[in-house]
Amino acid sequence: MVNLILKDIIIQKNTIIFYIATIILYLLVDVSPIFLGVLYSVVFIMTAFSTDEKGNANILLNSLPYTRKEVVSSKYMGALLFTSVIIFIIYLGDFFLNGMGEVFLWREILLIMGLVMVTISFILPISYKFKSKHLLMILVALVGLYLVTITILIPNLHDILREFVQNFLALQETQMYFVAILTTVILYIGSWLLSIRIYERKAF
Amino acid sequence: MENVIELQHIHKSFKGFEIKDFSINVKKGFVTGFIGGNGAGKSTTIKLIMNLLKQDSGTVSVFGMDYKKHEKDIKERIGFVYDENIFYENLTLKDMKRIIKPAYKNWDDTAFQRYVNEFELPLNKSMKTFSKGMKMKASLAIALAHHAELIIMDEPTAGLDPIFRRELLNILHELMQNEDRTIFFSTHITTDLDRIADYITFVHNGEHIFTKEFYKIEEEYAIVKGTLDLLDRETEQEFISIRKTNTGFEALTADKNRVINIFGDTVIVEKPTLEDIMYYTKKGR
Amino acid sequence: MQIIISNSSKEPIYEQIYAQIKKLILTGELQEGQALPSMRQLAKDLEISVITTKRAYEELEKNGFIYSIVGKGSFIAEQNKEMMRERKIKVIEENLLIAIQNAKEMNLSLAELKEMLTLLYTEDA
Repeated sequence: MVNLILKDIIIQKNTIIFYIATIILYLLVDVSPIFLGVLYSVVFIMTAFSTDEKGNANILLNSLPYTRKEVVSSKYMGALLFTSVIIFIIYLGDFFLNGMGEVFLWREILLIMGLVMVTISFILPISYKFKSKHLLMILVALVGLYLVTITILIPNLHDILREFVQNFLALQETQMYFVAILTTVILYIGSWLLSIRIYERKAF
Repeated sequence: MENVIELQHIHKSFKGFEIKDFSINVKKGFVTGFIGGNGAGKSTTIKLIMNLLKQDSGTVSVFGMDYKKHEKDIKERIGFVYDENIFYENLTLKDMKRIIKPAYKNWDDTAFQRYVNEFELPLNKSMKTFSKGMKMKASLAIALAHHAELIIMDEPTAGLDPIFRRELLNILHELMQNEDRTIFFSTHITTDLDRIADYITFVHNGEHIFTKEFYKIEEEYAIVKGTLDLLDRETEQEFISIRKTNTGFEALTADKNRVINIFGDTVIVEKPTLEDIMYYTKKGR
Repeated sequence: MQIIISNSSKEPIYEQIYAQIKKLILTGELQEGQALPSMRQLAKDLEISVITTKRAYEELEKNGFIYSIVGKGSFIAEQNKEMMRERKIKVIEENLLIAIQNAKEMNLSLAELKEMLTLLYTEDA
């Protein structure tokens, strides 16, 4: 399983420098670490996914001594690992570039992790079920829907989101955190099991 | 004799194609050539054997084990060569090795290096610069580096020049020096099989027509040529199918001796090629 | 051991191998106890399938020309000298019969045929 996670790094080894360079650039112009963390984690995870899909890597992987369960599980475990590493890189970079500033660092980390997990929980099963080129269409449709929604229905959606983030970071009650974490974890595990089910029925 | 692969009563249906009650066995220690026209079910069969595709019903057993319980044990012992590219195009062969090596318990780096040298494969060039033949050799080097007992190849010679095909045959002959090794490969270039195949498995339209020792095919089947007046309703029954022209007929029989008894010296009886058998079988159905 | 096979011959390849090894044994070129190449080695050298050499070896073994020891390979069997002589005489007889038949076809007399045989026999020696 570790081999499969390492594989996702090897296939992107040429772009890792690019990822780190742009992270530093964004940090210099003060882009929010939360935004960067979520974006880069999802991009990294999904690039690995679509690289497998574009070639016949699924034929290769399933001809090697791996079970389908392992192939899917490596994606879900890898996602957590990659997000952790990216968070580490971002905050390390942020520390060197902008110095210590944030007081509730761990809450930000938790938020990034949570957002990535929720996003991945939706994207992966859809990508396993359909091709990720369809995912792009779904994404375009969603962005369209999103734009329509904010311009027509909720013009202040951005403000609401910002407020949600602020509220989340300011939450004091541990109980609320517990519920949020539990929901995310359940969603993630549910998505994981669903993806295994979908993948096991696939023909290559 | 021991079977390495056993497919029994497989049913599998797709849109517009169906395999019904399909059973084949592949003998251990020999080379089995797997023939059939396009769309006959060769790739589907190979995918079933590799567990890339799941049957609707029936059983697939490899090395006497089933995939439900022993997927990893089985694949540990299989080497594969596919018709399509399965490598990450932007990676080098060295990177591919780094990805594939940890998957196998008994990976042998020395063996891998030996075959890479023998096949003259570049380790540091990206896979997209590899020709089809080089990719095939890379797959073989990987298969041999984990000492695969069963080597499954889907159209390994398609799109290769004759020299390359001849080279592959030499490699296969070399591999078969090990009597525990089994090779199963599909092809529609049937002349590749003359020099290497011990058994021929022939499928047509999702149906297993036969699996026979190569020499038995030549002993049993024959191409018969004669004048049209020899044919009537009764004698036509002796043939799988008949091609009639203004100058006479040419037909395939699956019982050479019987035909010789019936027609005697009035016809010419010739050794059939696998292509003849494929052509006339298709025509007869 | 030299074996030449023809792909265009009507004779099956395993029979060609059988006949040539048999000849090498009968002429004494292959001696009793001598090891034959393994079936797989021979298949590789001749660029033919393993099952073809296997069949040739099986036929040779069935007719007492060779024997196999599991795990060690195949060896030339002891040839019964008396039997070999008889067998060879039979072959000579068969060949002579053909000559006689040909002679009769063109009305060649026995005396003439004998004369021819004597001439050829002494000339050759």
